[in-house]
Amino acid sequence: MSLLASRHLARSLLTYETAAGKNSEPTESAPSRVFEKLRRPLCALAGVAGFRSLLSRALTLARAEAPSLSAVEIAADGSLQGLDELGPQIDKDKDRGQVNTNEAGAILIANLIGLLLTFIGEAVTLRMLQEVWPKAVFDGPDYGKDRKLEHTR
Amino acid sequence: MSTPDKVIINRLPTGVPGLDEILGGGLPEFSFNIIAGAPGSGKTTLAHQIVFANATPERPALYFTILGEPAIKMLRYQQQYTFFDPAKLPSSVRFINLSQVVLEKDLGAVLEEITKEVEKASPGIVVVDSFRTVVRKALGGSTEVELQSFIQRLALLLTSWQATTFLVGEYVEGEIRDNPVFTVSDGLLWLYQASERNSIVRKLQIVKLRGQLSVPGLHTFRITNAGLQAFSRTLGLGGQVRNIPSTRRLSIGIAELDKMLGGGIPEGDSVLVAGASGTGKSVLATQFIAEGVRRGDPGIVVVFEERPQEYAERASSFGLDLKTPQQEGKLEILYLRPLDLSVDETMHEILEAVQKIGAKRLVIDSLAGFEMALAPGFRADFRESLYRMITALTGVGVTILSTVEVNESFVEFPFSTYSISFLTDDIIRLRYVCIEGQLRKIMVVIKMRGGNHSKDIREYEITSEGVVIIGDRLADYQALITGIPQHLNRPGPKEEPARKQKSKNKA
Repeated sequence: MSLLASRHLARSLLTYETAAGKNSEPTESAPSRVFEKLRRPLCALAGVAGFRSLLSRALTLARAEAPSLSAVEIAADGSLQGLDELGPQIDKDKDRGQVNTNEAGAILIANLIGLLLTFIGEAVTLRMLQEVWPKAVFDGPDYGKDRKLEHTR
Repeated sequence: MSTPDKVIINRLPTGVPGLDEILGGGLPEFSFNIIAGAPGSGKTTLAHQIVFANATPERPALYFTILGEPAIKMLRYQQQYTFFDPAKLPSSVRFINLSQVVLEKDLGAVLEEITKEVEKASPGIVVVDSFRTVVRKALGGSTEVELQSFIQRLALLLTSWQATTFLVGEYVEGEIRDNPVFTVSDGLLWLYQASERNSIVRKLQIVKLRGQLSVPGLHTFRITNAGLQAFSRTLGLGGQVRNIPSTRRLSIGIAELDKMLGGGIPEGDSVLVAGASGTGKSVLATQFIAEGVRRGDPGIVVVFEERPQEYAERASSFGLDLKTPQQEGKLEILYLRPLDLSVDETMHEILEAVQKIGAKRLVIDSLAGFEMALAPGFRADFRESLYRMITALTGVGVTILSTVEVNESFVEFPFSTYSISFLTDDIIRLRYVCIEGQLRKIMVVIKMRGGNHSKDIREYEITSEGVVIIGDRLADYQALITGIPQHLNRPGPKEEPARKQKSKNKA
């Protein structure tokens, strides 16, 4: 699965959470809620230490695109600190020009999902996401092929 | 009042081909088991196979990982096996990491965490990988009594919640005596891996299994992209009913030899054809199998020294058509050459082929090739395994003809270099003799367990029709079996043996 696909997945999750947030008064941003929902199953699977290692790598990769993420830190329990406090700043990115920090969360989530896709593959990753967001529909340019394979096993 | 029925223990499939038979039908439901072995012996893969074979959304499997292989990596590698079904995650198969609890807390907290997850999921299967880590941690800060108590409570919890449990651990054999976990466990599966010269030999043993009879001893297993595959020492034939001995005689395809055999080979016999290189053992074996096919007996030929196509082409040079019966599914030529096969694996392949086409005749050409195809570590088991296979197959009425090469000697008359003549019912010996300045060939039936046979020593040739016996017995010579016979009537080397009667060699 491509980098594009992991970004598409991240955006799908954010869109879903944003829509869900309109029905209530969330105290956290959509990226924080997506992230928190991902943290629980991943900590159960990999342990807190395992999850923190993955997240640390994802954060490093994401910072290259969104330097404002330098202000974000990983707590001992694997939760993120400082994501909601980034504010409406503008990141200068040498390849992509200006990146709104509102996108920083999406970039971080995309990198985390990208690592999962690399390590455990699309089928297992999508299963895990579906478990967390049972009503979400994950469709994208690269998903169909692997899903078909999965169904024909 | 009638006697109440005793409890019936359900048996769960392992998902490992061959292992259920070794276990005596499968894994006892609700049992508390240990999967032990050195690193790389296949413990985690075996646990995963069991998990994927049994987990359902209603009775999921909980896989607790503790400090061993990181869960992400385990998932990464295990999904390469064909048994790994991502569709079962996470509804049926759930991975839970307990490393932190083990590292930071005591045994009570570990038990509490497991209890919480078990009560929440009501699992059918529970795996703790690696349990050895839990024990090591416990021994660091707990007394032996506390550890024993923990294991006891864990076993009670998981059994009460109707889970079949597997504790995976890197144990060494010396620990069996002192480690309380072995006392509490109902089943103990031990996986071994040893290198022998350039080959790896994998074996498993059911060291302990409460409540049912397993097949004792060490069983070979292999790890492929389908996971583990086990090969029972009984070759899966343990429960087979032996046929009532047949009175049928099978033609070998050489009329004169049939006569020497007292009317043919008794059905269900094991025949050994022994002789030096070039004496026609393979030709005779081919005639035997071709004659069987001609008469409606499906056959299997196991070759090690030439490929099936070459074998069939050589047969056609003797006027024997093996290609048509192959196409019709009446004949299979198996070529087994990999040099790291275990003897039981090889036997398994042969048995599968025999069962697939309902073979009545089996040719093993040759025993020397068979032995060479095995990994060096398995050669020690060769005779024993061969004995088991021959006994099992002949017991169900398959007639086996094996060829064996013997070194030609002019001071002795060996039947086989393998000392395996004890497992054959009949022996046909081919050998070279020096007569009249020519190297000719003679054959004699050495032994027939089923009754009388001709004692004649007959000369034969290999012609375009295969092995052809010529003339009557060589009555004018003595010491034929030395290979350097003496003519009885005259000392000179001029006279030829009787070659008058070109026998009717077609059956």
